[in-house]
Parts: sequence; C-alpha cells; structure tokens
Amino acid sequence: MKNLIPLLLITVALAACQPQTDAKADADKSDNAPAFASTYTPQESSDVLLRNATLIDGVSNEERTGDLLVSGGKIGFVGSGEIPEGVTELDLDGRYVTPGIIDIHSHLGNYPSPGVQAHGDGNEVTSPITSEVYAEHGVWPQDPGFDEALQGGVTTLHILPGSANLFGGRGVTLRNVPSRTVQGMKFPDAPYTLKMACGENPKRVYGNKGGPGSRMGNVAGYRKNWIKAAGYKAKRDKGGDYDRDLQLETLANVLDGKILVNMHCYRADEMVQILDIAKEFDYKVTTFHHAVEAYKIGDILAENDTCAAMWADWGAFKMESFDYINENVPFVHAAGACAMIHSDDQNNIQRLNQEVAKTWADGNRAGLDISKAEAWKWLSTNPAKALGILEETGTLEAGKRADLVIWDGDPFSTYARPETVMVDGAVLFDRATGLKPKSDFRLGYADLSEGVK
Amino acid sequence: MRTLLLAVSALALSTPSFAQTVFVDDATVVSPNGSQSKTDIIIVDGVIDARGARLSAPDGASTITGAWVTPGLFAPMSSLGMTDIGSSGPGNDVSSEDSPTNVSEHAADSFNPRSIHVGNVRQSGITHAVIAPRSSGNSIFAGTGAIISLTGEFDSILDPEAFVMADLGETGTRRAGGSRAAAMSQFRAAIEDAEGFFKRYADSADGGDVLSRQDAKAFSRAVRGDIPLLIRVERAADIMRLIDIQSENPSLDIIIVGGAEAWEVADEIAGADIRVILDPLKNLPTAFESVGSRLDNVAFLEEAGVEYAISNLTSLGVTKPASLAQHAGAAVVEGLSWEQAFAAISSVPSSWFGVDETSMVVWDGDPLEVTSAPIAMSIDGEEQSMSSRQKALRDRYNPTNEDDRAYKYR
Repeated sequence: MKNLIPLLLITVALAACQPQTDAKADADKSDNAPAFASTYTPQESSDVLLRNATLIDGVSNEERTGDLLVSGGKIGFVGSGEIPEGVTELDLDGRYVTPGIIDIHSHLGNYPSPGVQAHGDGNEVTSPITSEVYAEHGVWPQDPGFDEALQGGVTTLHILPGSANLFGGRGVTLRNVPSRTVQGMKFPDAPYTLKMACGENPKRVYGNKGGPGSRMGNVAGYRKNWIKAAGYKAKRDKGGDYDRDLQLETLANVLDGKILVNMHCYRADEMVQILDIAKEFDYKVTTFHHAVEAYKIGDILAENDTCAAMWADWGAFKMESFDYINENVPFVHAAGACAMIHSDDQNNIQRLNQEVAKTWADGNRAGLDISKAEAWKWLSTNPAKALGILEETGTLEAGKRADLVIWDGDPFSTYARPETVMVDGAVLFDRATGLKPKSDFRLGYADLSEGVK
Repeated sequence: MRTLLLAVSALALSTPSFAQTVFVDDATVVSPNGSQSKTDIIIVDGVIDARGARLSAPDGASTITGAWVTPGLFAPMSSLGMTDIGSSGPGNDVSSEDSPTNVSEHAADSFNPRSIHVGNVRQSGITHAVIAPRSSGNSIFAGTGAIISLTGEFDSILDPEAFVMADLGETGTRRAGGSRAAAMSQFRAAIEDAEGFFKRYADSADGGDVLSRQDAKAFSRAVRGDIPLLIRVERAADIMRLIDIQSENPSLDIIIVGGAEAWEVADEIAGADIRVILDPLKNLPTAFESVGSRLDNVAFLEEAGVEYAISNLTSLGVTKPASLAQHAGAAVVEGLSWEQAFAAISSVPSSWFGVDETSMVVWDGDPLEVTSAPIAMSIDGEEQSMSSRQKALRDRYNPTNEDDRAYKYR
C-alpha cells in the first residue's frame, strides 16, 4: 500500500457539488442564515488506479472483477475506462472494494468514550418536545469511537439525539474524518433530520414528570405540536414579521420537506399509527429506526416509501423489542421496502459488515435468495438514500465522492478487515502502513502501538 | 376444537428434526481441544453412530456435504433464564437492588429453563453456559452463579453453586460507597468474615464485619478455594491489587471477568495463576478504568501463558451470548489460532466449571463465521430441538410463506 501515499499528491479543491436533491437545495434556505455551516475540506489525496478488484458497487446485484480509478478525490470510473497516463496503480489481486459504510444511527461524539456523566450530551431530557436542539452541539470530535469506526470502514455517519423525547432534536450527517471541530466534519449540504421517538422511552421518562405517560399521550403530543407547527409555518410563509421559534422552525421545515424524519419505533402497529399521523399533517417519515418488528409490515413500509434501519440480532432488552428475529433486514428488503443496518452502538459500528453478513445468511437460510452485492445496499446505498446524500456517496459510481474500503478478505466473513479506507479519495486508514487517526484523548496512555504479533 | 388440536399436533410432528439418519459427507470434525480432521459421519437420532474416512450413506439417510461437527459452545458469562426482558421490573432477576443478602443469593433459584431465550440462544450452537447475577445495592458481591445446559429442561442446572460473583473496579467502587479503597476494604473484610465464620458468628447472626451469617457461609466455599471467585475488574492497577489479595489468600481461585487492561500485566496474571474471561472486541476507552482497551488483549494473554475464555461482555443483555462465535472469530484475526479461539468458547471454560456432559453441534460451515449456523445439536446424547420462539415468528412472517390465512392462524 505504500505506493498509494507519495506520487501525484494533489490538493483537491472542494469540487462544485453535484446538483442536490430538491430537499437539499431548499435546506439551505430553511434557516435564513445557516449557522454552524460545514467547513469540511477533503484531505489531500493522490490519484490511484485500483487494478483487479472484486467490486461490490452498491448498485448492481452482482459482484464483478474490474478496475476502479480514483481521480481528484472522485471516482473516475468503475470496471474499465480511460486510464490517465502515469497514474499510480495498485494491483488488488481480487481483493474486495466496496463503498464506504454509512451508519444512519450513531451517538459517537454525543455519547463518547469515556462514558463519564459529563459526556452525556445526547439526550435533552428536560422536556418531551426539544426539536430546538441540534445533535451537533453535543458532538465531541475527539471521541475515540470515530477513529475505531473508520477502521471498520465507516466513512459517513449520522449522529442523532437520543430517544427520551417525542421530538428529540436535529440529527447531523458527518464525514468520518479527523477534525478539531464538528463543523469540520459536517457533510456539506446534507439535509438535517429530526429525531422523534415512539413507545416506551418517552412515556417512561416523562410518566412522572407531567407526561406523556402512555402511548396515547405520545400520540397526542405529536399531534398537538404538528398543529402548532402548521400554524407557525403559515405565519412564516405569509412573510412580514413573526417571532422566530427554534422549536417550531424545525417542525415547520419538516412540513416543508426540508428536514427528514428519523423516528425511533419498535412495534409494527405503532409504526403504522405514525404513518397515519404523517398523512394527517402531510409530512413524510423517511426512516423508522430500530424497527424490530418491521418484518411484520414490510409491505406497508414499501407502500409508504418509508425505510427501516435495523439491527441484525438485537432484542429482548425491553418489551417493545421482544419480537426480534434475525431475519428482520432481509424480510423487509424482500417485501420491497428500503432496508438498512444501523449500529446505535460504539462497538457494533466497527463491524457493520459482519452484522449484515449475519442477517443476510439467516435470510437466505429462511428461503430468500439475496446476493452479497444486493445485501451490501443495506450498508451504504440505502442509508445514503435515507440521508439524502445518495447523489454524492453510498455507491461506487463515476463522479461520486471516492468513499471506499479495500478489504483484506470477503467482507461477509468474520475474518475480513478493512485494509484501506478512503474518504474523498484520501487514505485516512491504512493497515499496512499503520496510518490511522488517534484522538487527543488517547495520547499519553500506555502505548497502544505495539502488539505481540 | 377437536380439529384444531389435531392440526396443532400435526404441526409439532412436522417440526424440523434430526430424528432420523443423516450422512455427513466429508465433515470437518473438531475435537474438544479445537483440532480439526476430515471424516464421514453417520448421525442417528442426533448422536454420532459411526465415523470413518469412506463411509457410505445408509439406506434412507439424508446426506449433507461439507458440514462441520463440533462440541457445543460454552458461554462463560450470561444471564440466561434469569429474565424475560432486559428492563427492570418483575421477571428480571438479574440483580436485587433492595435485598439484604448477597453471596447467598443463587442465580440457580432465579433460573427458568423455559425462558424463550434459552431456546433462542441455543440456536447459535451454545449448549452450556454460566449464569451470573449482577451486583446491586451497597455490596460488591452479586451472589452465587450456576452452570446450566441449554436443553430447556428442569434438570438443566448442572451446578447450582459453581462460583461467587463480585465487582471491583468502578462498579465495585460505586457499590462500596465511592472509592476503590472502600471496595477493597469490603472485599478483605468479607474474606475475613468467611474465614473466621465459626468464631465470628457463633453467638450472633451479625457478628461479621460486612457479611451477614448466611452470606459469610455462602462465601466460605470460595474463600477455601472449593469454587472459583469471579471478579469483574478492568484496570491494570486494580488487577495488581487483586494479585496482592490472591497472594495474601493463596486458597482463592480467582477468575477475572473483563480485564480490559490485562495485557499490561499479563505476566503477573500468569504468575498468580489467575484466569481471565474477556471480550476480544473491547477496544474503546469506555471508562477511565479501561483506557488501555485493545483488540489484541487476548494475544498478550496467550503469549504470557494466561488461561482465558472468550465472552461477549459489551453489548446488550439477555441475547448477549448469541454472538459468542463471532467474538472468537475476532480473536483469530488478532492472532489466536483457530483451535485456541474455539477452545476459548468451548473446552476451556467448560473444563473450568467441571462440565462433563458431552455435546455436539452440526454446522453448515465454519462455526466462527458469522454466516454459519447449526443444523443439528445434541446435549448429553439427547437430540435438541432446532425450533425457537424467534423461528416461530420468522416462519409466520416469512415473505416466502404462501399461507394466506390471517397471521394469527398461520
């Protein structure tokens, strides 16, 4: 891998972004003067031709052997194409190349390591309605978990507020890059999301603090606030003077379709109630999170074009996760809905490929016939779609950001690990040369650099 | 009603079963020490009937090719059968916040072999497990743990008093009132209570320094070294204190649970003959006591000659043991041989806790691969059911299920 680093080091100017989805273009306008704007700049990268790769591109349902050109931080071509003269070549000898993994549900930075009380910045547990808070304001960029997630192939991740509240606050999409600031990690122009929560958590947290104290109260709480938001939106849209209200601004932007709804919800029946609320107030639920019972309503999710972000095999940690099955992701996929894996965990995020491998194998054992390349969409394509960034990343396609992973084996194997991870074509992790980011927090502790091997 | 009953019993009969003759062609057979060999196998009613290089399929046998046949897995840490759901409330017996007792509380008394999680977790190839309580209240002692088999039968508690479980480190600190010094003071005093049991409690039930009479009595078996003392501890410095305690009380048979920083003092642990149950996926400094966490912790222990078992100690609750094989696979990547990693989730911990039941799992691939799963199992010569509540839900909602009746009738 050493030959990747030198030659042709070029500074990649942040290329003019591809035309965004409508939702994204509007996102800039949604807050009149966007605060906390992204300052992300890709690290330096060199052009490289990856030869003889086994390519899983996140689009095709088949893997194939071919070359991939990284040029100017973008993907030049996939499969075959015009090779620039003198470009550095790296023969992968059949090793797998995949899109970088995207985790749509992470609390890295807002529940960082070490998990001391002073670091608990992910849940504004002071009111069931806190749509005015932003996850990014609780993100500590020195969380060592970011570095470990990168070594697991995660190139983009979405940080959400926790699930104590009916309306938890805004989620933020981050590039998994070393940075002194969260602004330096923010995915340029990615839409904000709104975290909402169903079920046990809000009613447990607020049951003795003024409510909601039941699922009935949860639903009443959503509806009351959507009514307020509609009123606010009408006043705002009329022009002229109005008092800016951060809480209602987030909700009004959801009603405008500029902010995507990420909703924590376990039970099938409850998810369908939520879809009815979305119809009542004319907004869209982009993704249900955890969705342990999504397999019971795959058809309904497909009809509503609502995604489900799920674990491979977690459950029974509370009543609403009692009906977990290991085939949730493939069953939702087989029903034609948009399915994806998510971590919600600082350990799980380091091996999401194995989580997909597990659930993929269990799905096929149950009678489905899904290829590995098709299942890979649960790791990058579908989360990119759900986050409104699919035009820029999530697949290996010419013109997209070169966010990719070179694996030392089959990524569906327990024994495979990322060998090289690129974000915008820049090598941020490379096992062979020992290149990896190290949080400030790690400095000065017992030396971690030397193993026994 | 009569028709319905008939239908139900017909369903039960059609449950997938190995209660027949199966010919496993070219099986990879793994011995208890982890070593592999290739052979053909004939399994009758879930038990190996014949093995040899060139067997042929008996009449009427179904044939499987390329399967792996291994001893069952042993989960060295779990709360199986002690709770139905992870959240607290009635039905969750993992800890007992308001009880006045500690060591004398037996996990075996809480164990429900009919818990659906026993059946669910068995589907991942686990045949035996440790069940342990968690500490609570103001005692560093959680209670007395048991060894179970995952048959789901009422005779599946193999050893109801297998070890004593305690917490030092940050959890023990919290229990003892706020400092490591307080936790160690409680620990040392408890040892003295147990050692001096007859003298201290002769006249009074509360004659001990920190333990009540029944807890001191329960603890004395561990203090004598008749059963191991499992202690959750992460920090290297805390492990060194534990080694001091071991040398002051040579009869103690200590097993560390956690040991995130064990690699720093691996030679000292080996020298004290202390064993370790660790999680080879733990690499984050999730607390100040585990800032030195690293993936190759296990390789240091192997190198130093420490005896270790592999467990999942990080992620969520009652379903935790299911990913045991994945954890062992991770240890292979960090430098263990396949044999060492497999032994660390089977023969090593099962020998620690004196399990002498035989077990067998037939897998559809390398058991340490996340994509593999058992296709047949036996425990103590008895074929095990491969059905579970999870599989029942799976079958009801399987997109390939062509049954068009309402879901509740499927």
